[in-house]
Amino acid sequence: MNARDAILSSIRAAAVPPSAAAALVVPAGSTSDPLDQFLQALASVGGHGIVRRADQTIGSMVAALFGGDQGTVVVVPGRFAVAENGAVYVDAADLDARADIVRAEHLVLVVPSAALVATMHEAVRLMPRDSACGWFLSGPSKTADIEQSLVVGAQGARTLHVIFDTG
Amino acid sequence: MSRTHPEAAATFLRDSERAAWHDEALWFVRQKRDTATALPEWEALRDAGAALKAHAMGRLAELLETFEARATAAGVTVHWARDADEHNALVLDILQGAGATRVAKSKSMLTEECGLNPVLEANGIEVVDTDLGERIVQLAHEPPSHIVLPAIHWKKEEIGALFHRTMGTPAGESSPDALAAAARDHLRDALLHADAAITGANALVAETGGVVVCTNEGNADLGMHSAPLHIVCVGIEKVLATLDDLAVLLRILARSATGQPITAYTTHVTAPRPGARMHVVLVDNGRSARLADAEMRSALHCIRCGACLNTCPIYRRSGGHSYGHVIPGPIGAILAPAVDLKLHRDLPFASTLCGSCGDVCPVRIDIPAQLLAWRARSAAAGASPAGYATIFNRLGWILADRRRFDRAGRWVRRALRLIPSALLAGRWNPWTRAGRELPLAPRESFREWARREGRLK
Repeated sequence: MNARDAILSSIRAAAVPPSAAAALVVPAGSTSDPLDQFLQALASVGGHGIVRRADQTIGSMVAALFGGDQGTVVVVPGRFAVAENGAVYVDAADLDARADIVRAEHLVLVVPSAALVATMHEAVRLMPRDSACGWFLSGPSKTADIEQSLVVGAQGARTLHVIFDTG
Repeated sequence: MSRTHPEAAATFLRDSERAAWHDEALWFVRQKRDTATALPEWEALRDAGAALKAHAMGRLAELLETFEARATAAGVTVHWARDADEHNALVLDILQGAGATRVAKSKSMLTEECGLNPVLEANGIEVVDTDLGERIVQLAHEPPSHIVLPAIHWKKEEIGALFHRTMGTPAGESSPDALAAAARDHLRDALLHADAAITGANALVAETGGVVVCTNEGNADLGMHSAPLHIVCVGIEKVLATLDDLAVLLRILARSATGQPITAYTTHVTAPRPGARMHVVLVDNGRSARLADAEMRSALHCIRCGACLNTCPIYRRSGGHSYGHVIPGPIGAILAPAVDLKLHRDLPFASTLCGSCGDVCPVRIDIPAQLLAWRARSAAAGASPAGYATIFNRLGWILADRRRFDRAGRWVRRALRLIPSALLAGRWNPWTRAGRELPLAPRESFREWARREGRLK
């Protein structure tokens, strides 16, 4: 018997009793102000959230953030944001290369401000069904592997900005 | 067994300052977890976590087949490995077939369990563990001492000295910022120039055929999206039915592990990028056999968050290396005996049965009950140390009868007050040998006191 069949038949022989699927969790105290919750969550994980004003463009905002030193900045669209954890979903279909997401020294994610959900329960339902690769990105790269001291910019992006695009 | 857990723990505790520091570092993580899990629906999330794992185990074969079909259709090559040797041979074969000699590996307890690195290195393949904590212990030729925080037992001054020796950082440099910056350059270099990336997986999703990898550093993504070859090594118990289940997993995993609402990077990948190749190796290595063990089955539900380690008074005060198993702490103490009961017979006893591990487990594994059950099996298998059976049988005989119990109590109280303490604190006594004092025995029992006070008929 090959390994695949041996493993599958061993699993079936274990005869684990069927068990119902998990009930959907309904978050109890959903926030009245998801944008504020998102911005707080993002700040707590070391990211920066900004809402675009009518007199600003994404280009002018990035220029204001990084000045002339934009060679290491990557601006990518985020599909939607998650209020509870400051995460933004980015799909590889919207990138030139998947590695951009981690090779960039500075990452700017531009998210339509209407695309904000409360929790991961809603978020996974918005993931594109045909996605080859996608990420929930919550703040910049970080590590606490040296004496639990938080160091931002471990291996991936050193800074992460989320711009809510009201346009 | 080289050393028992109490022996290894005694060595760890000899440096009492370090032991106290280790204890506090882990308690700090436990407290962060408490803050992060203060959600109104937290207990409902734990219920869902327990339910989705039980559900997946009940459909495991079918879910793995579905995952395999979806992943294969998306261009991923799926392999199956019965045991560690088969897994290591498969990975080596894939790497050699691609002519890979430099491998960047991100965090994977499974490859630790299988002992992959030595096999690859013996075949001329250079492996760099790219999680910072894992790189620290790899450079020090040590196994990780924690499943989420591999180098939690290392002090920054020691890491500074290690990096000075291995990476050429300035002598005496020990600031975490400077050391992490040096590691960033060192690891990015390895990640961006690797011939192959090996990662673990926090979950597989049958519904999408997706592999889910969670990191804070971004090292898994740097590797898998840069190298022409990505190999995922994953245990068969990691498969989930749906994305709804994944939502629950992602809500409980990082909160329980490090007190974060989610990791910085959560990657869901279903297909290799154009021009690259992706393999998934599904590993059994004893898992399907454990599935048949109804009493201990739920240990397979473990999502490797490490919360039970951080909260455990024994783990915090004995260090991960004292367990002598790839997974230490309470969860390791119920996983290891299933691998080899004789070798790990001491681990179910490395617990006070205080129950904290079960209370923090985000998928509600009843770890204390399984610790107790493993103790019974250990005794039944005759794996207990010589004399244990005699002692406990005699104790059972005394405890089974009130008069015998009362009489024994009187004798022992009297004896403890009469025998000189120097004799009681001899080398023979494991209680005092560990630096503890025997409490003064009371003159009378509670029952005797109550009778004397006229409160007992």
